[in-house]
Amino acid sequence: MLSLRVVGGQCFMMLRIKQFLAMAGLTALEALRQPICFLLAVSGVVFIAALPLMIMHTFGEDGKQVRDGALAFHFVFGLFIAGHSAGTMLSREIRSGTASAVLSKPVGRELFFLSKFAGITAVIVLFSACAALATLLSERVAEKFYSTETLAGYLPDAVTGTMLICAPFAACFVAALVNYRFKRPFASTAFITLLLSLVLVLLVSGFFARTGRWMPYDFQVQWRILPVSILITMALIVLSGIALTISTRFETVPTMVFCSAIFLLGLMSDYVFGRFAGSSQLCGLLYAAVPNWQNFWTVDALAGGGTVPLKYVVSAGYYAAVYTAGILCLGMISFRHTEMK
Amino acid sequence: MSGNNEEASAIVEVRKLVKVFRDFWRRPKVRAVDGIDLEIRRGEIFGLLGPNGSGKSTTIKILLGLLNATSGDVLVFGRKPHDVETKARIGYLPEESYLYNYLTPYETLDFYGRLFDISSSDRADRIGQLLEMTGLKHAATRPVGEFSKGMARRVGLAQALINDPELVILDEPTSGLDPVGCRQVKDLMLALAKRGKTIILSSHLLADVEDVCDRVAILYNGSIRAQGSVNQLLEKRESVRLTMPSLPPDTMKKVLAIVKEKIGKEPDIDHPSMNLEQFFLEVVEKAHRSTSEQSGAAPTEAMAGYLTKE
Repeated sequence: MLSLRVVGGQCFMMLRIKQFLAMAGLTALEALRQPICFLLAVSGVVFIAALPLMIMHTFGEDGKQVRDGALAFHFVFGLFIAGHSAGTMLSREIRSGTASAVLSKPVGRELFFLSKFAGITAVIVLFSACAALATLLSERVAEKFYSTETLAGYLPDAVTGTMLICAPFAACFVAALVNYRFKRPFASTAFITLLLSLVLVLLVSGFFARTGRWMPYDFQVQWRILPVSILITMALIVLSGIALTISTRFETVPTMVFCSAIFLLGLMSDYVFGRFAGSSQLCGLLYAAVPNWQNFWTVDALAGGGTVPLKYVVSAGYYAAVYTAGILCLGMISFRHTEMK
Repeated sequence: MSGNNEEASAIVEVRKLVKVFRDFWRRPKVRAVDGIDLEIRRGEIFGLLGPNGSGKSTTIKILLGLLNATSGDVLVFGRKPHDVETKARIGYLPEESYLYNYLTPYETLDFYGRLFDISSSDRADRIGQLLEMTGLKHAATRPVGEFSKGMARRVGLAQALINDPELVILDEPTSGLDPVGCRQVKDLMLALAKRGKTIILSSHLLADVEDVCDRVAILYNGSIRAQGSVNQLLEKRESVRLTMPSLPPDTMKKVLAIVKEKIGKEPDIDHPSMNLEQFFLEVVEKAHRSTSEQSGAAPTEAMAGYLTKE
């Protein structure tokens, strides 16, 4: 009897996991196939790739300007992708009736809501992977002081730079070919090929020295940038949770307005609420309730060869996880009572 | 014993159902459903009839737990409408075909199939049969966003049947379909009912309802104005219609004279004619046999095997 119950429980859990994966996968696919999402991702990568061409000074630290600019692009374009995907996905599904069609199947509302979040998170992670790779490569391409026996001066990595600039266009070309030959959707294919092309550039660039000559394999990228990219990704995931929760009750435009307000408040959280958190209970409450984006923006820590300690990344991850869990709980409660059209 | 009880019992029970839609400030806006009582039994095709805005779709959405009732009791398979397990036994075709535009029909059906406990081999088998049945096999790789309303409707119908449901709820199933598709949907409903499935059909197309429904409820302004079996509601007990082969003129005169003597006036006489639907279906069938290329939904008489299996 007990074993039967266990088997039944396992089957039930397996079905729920399958449903969750199916809905999360569909959400990610829907988001990836949106032309706006693809355009934002490609634009972000192209801007990051083009930074070494635009910045011709170093302000005392090689690659700093490019690195800071690239991470800023990662954050800004990521905000647009997270806000747009999370803010429009659920409200559009409620408005268009696809949510009704899915919820008429044996799917709980909580599972549906969480799967939307998971799908959007997958898209954010995919974009962040592209942006992080582009940032690593862009920083490598940036002009750096280089000296040999015969010359000394600032030198960009022209070979890697050329490959990096070509990568988004090559990805689009391959996606167009796949679309023509196999009728696969262009936008989602291009998103995937963009990531693959950047990985390829990273791998191939290891064979080239800054002068363009062959050399023993060496990545020559600053891996210390990655923790900062991971922290930015966490911020984007938190924001998508907020947008998704708000969209359970509001249409796209009000959701975007609320998200923008929360984002701005979160940027100024230390100044507006943090200063008075000790003396005022209300300020203390608001300081805790509004996400503090400064926790995730650690670009300055890289200055002068600095790094972001793993311990800090873990504690920021803990903060992001707890905050996101809290906001998703609110979202689930709200969505439980939302009436479908 | 319990099986017999379930067979005799109602699949859907609705008592004094009220639904009031409210505005942003929670003030009452519309009373969409106003004290409905319904009982739908296993194996019957039940029609919800009514003009636009009479509360048909709202009632259906409450049955599915998509909307919350303001007051009243609703039980589907003896459980509350929000119960997730109950929905595994239901197939629902919404009023509009609510589909993910970027997915192909195959991906759409695969996605909905994965929400049920159906093995991947069964799922693939059913999808093939459903695409064949709905005439969309040749369009299985095109995104549904490119489809006409009728073709999207066919995908919607296929997704409603992927789980071989015990209760099928069809909201305006023939809306946007060509006459061939309409006939096919009606035949499908009859075939499902023959297998003991229960069907709730919401429509304002009276001919559709009359063709297939065992019982109907007519809604107006949120409440039921008439309810009963179709024959019971439509029968004119005071008149009789005779259909027979054409008689020789002399015999006909004699018959008419007798009838006139008995009823005191000339009876109405006409020749039975084929209805437009039958005529249309014959013309399309002939045209289909003479062509091989097809851009829209292909007419087909195939019924998905798993839906008709005893």
